[in-house]
Amino acid sequence: MTPNEKGLMERYIYQVIRRLSKAQRNEVRMELEELISDMYADKGSMEEVLTQLGDPAKFAGQYQSGQQYLIGPEYFDTYLWFIKVILICTAAPILVISLVNAFGQASVITSQNAVPVIIRAIVDGLTIGISDVLISCISAFGAVTLIFAIMEHQKVKIERKRSEKWSVEKLAEQKKTAESRWMPSFLEPVPDKKALISRGDSIVGIVFIVIFCVLLIFAPHFFAAVFSENETVKTVPVFNLDQWGSILPVFALSLLVGLADEILKLVVGCYCKLVMISNIVCGAIQIALSAVVLKAMPIWNPNFVAEIQLALGDEANPAEKFLSLWNADMVSNGLLAFIVLFTLVEIGVTVYKTLRYGAPIRNR
Amino acid sequence: MGEGKDLLPVLLLELRRGTLTISVLSQMKEPKYGYALVQSLEEKGVAIDPNTLYPLLRRLENQGLLDSKWETGGAKPRKYYQRTEYGTEIYKRLKTYWENLSVGMERLLREEEA
Repeated sequence: MTPNEKGLMERYIYQVIRRLSKAQRNEVRMELEELISDMYADKGSMEEVLTQLGDPAKFAGQYQSGQQYLIGPEYFDTYLWFIKVILICTAAPILVISLVNAFGQASVITSQNAVPVIIRAIVDGLTIGISDVLISCISAFGAVTLIFAIMEHQKVKIERKRSEKWSVEKLAEQKKTAESRWMPSFLEPVPDKKALISRGDSIVGIVFIVIFCVLLIFAPHFFAAVFSENETVKTVPVFNLDQWGSILPVFALSLLVGLADEILKLVVGCYCKLVMISNIVCGAIQIALSAVVLKAMPIWNPNFVAEIQLALGDEANPAEKFLSLWNADMVSNGLLAFIVLFTLVEIGVTVYKTLRYGAPIRNR
Repeated sequence: MGEGKDLLPVLLLELRRGTLTISVLSQMKEPKYGYALVQSLEEKGVAIDPNTLYPLLRRLENQGLLDSKWETGGAKPRKYYQRTEYGTEIYKRLKTYWENLSVGMERLLREEEA
C-alpha cells in the first residue's frame, strides 16, 4: 500500500466514523482498516476498493439503527402547529411593544418637527423590535421543542416498560420473541366525544400565557398608572421594576409550567388520568409560585402611592380616595385568591371531565 | 410512469433484506473474519456487499446471535465472528421456516407453468 493509498483509506474511514456515535467509532475504525486492507490485498487497487464500498455517508447510514429523532411522527403535527402559534404570539406583541416604546420616547423628546421624529421612532422601534423578536422567538422555539422532546422521551420509556411487563407476566416461556406481543385486550376504549381536547380549546390558554409572558418580560412598565401633565405623559409603574430581575424568573417559570400542561393536554388529545394528574400538579405548582411572587417577593412598586401623589400634585383630591385604599398586601391577597380560585376551577373542570367522560383505563 | 424505473431495485432490496440474516448465520458455525465471509458468500452465489455485511455483523452481535473476538496475534488485528448458542437456536428455526417457505413459494411460482 503506497502512502497515497493509505491516506485515501484514512480519509474514507474518517468520513464513515465521524457520522457514528462516539461509542462505536474506535471499533468500527479497526474493522474498516481490516476490511479495506483485506479488499486491497485481494483487488490491488485502493481506487477500486473504495469505489466498491461506495459513498461513506451511506455506509455509515447502515450502522445506524433504531429511532434517531427528537420529536417523532406521532407528535410532529401538533408540534408544528404549536410552534406556529407560539412564534406568532411572541413576535407580534414584541413588535407592537417596541413601536409603542419608541413612539413614547419620541413624544417625550419633542412635539415640533413631528414628521422626521416619527419616522425616526418607527425605524428605532423596528430595529429594536426585530432583534428582540429574533431572540425571543429562538428562546420560545427552544422551550417548546424541549417540552415536546421530553414528552417524546417519556413516551418511549413508558412503551418500553409496558412491553417488559408483559413478557414477565404471561409470556415468560416464550422468552425474547414474545416481548412485544400485542393482544386485543390492550386496546384502549375510544374516548367519549366530550373527552376529546381540541386545538381550539387550548389555543385561548396558550395565547394568553404567551402574550402575558411577553408583556412581563418586555413591557412590565406597561402595567402602570398614566397621567398627562403639561402635554407630556407621565407613568407610575405598578410593579417594582428595580427588583424585576429576580421576580421575573419566578413569574416566567410559573407560566412555563402552565404551557407544559397545555402542551401535554394537546398531545394526549383527550381527558384521561395523565392529563388530570398533570393538571393537578401544574396547578399546584402555579399556585405555589404565585404565592411566592405575591407574598414573599417585593413585587409592587413601594413608592406607588407617593409617586402618584407627586405626579398629580394639586389635582390629587379626586384620587385621594382611591390612594387611601391602595394597600399592597390587600392587592396581593386579592390577586392570589383570584389565581387560586381560577386554578381550582380549571382543575375541577378537568377532574369532572376525566371522571365523567375520560377513559379510566387509559393511563398513557 | 417514471416510478417504474426505481421500483424494481426497491422490491429486489426488500426481497433480499430478509435473507441476509439467515445467509450470514448459516456461515458462522466456525469463527470467520469479515472479508473471508464476503468471499465465501460470493463463491456460493449469495453475494453481500461489504458495506451491508459489516454493519449487519455488528447488529447480529448486539442482538446476541453472534459473538466476536479480536485476534491480535497475526500481521494485523482481525475481528472473528462466531454464532452463539442462541444464534444457533435461532438459525435452526429460521432454517425450518425458510424450507417451508421455499416449498410453498415453489408451488406458487410453478402454478402458471402447469
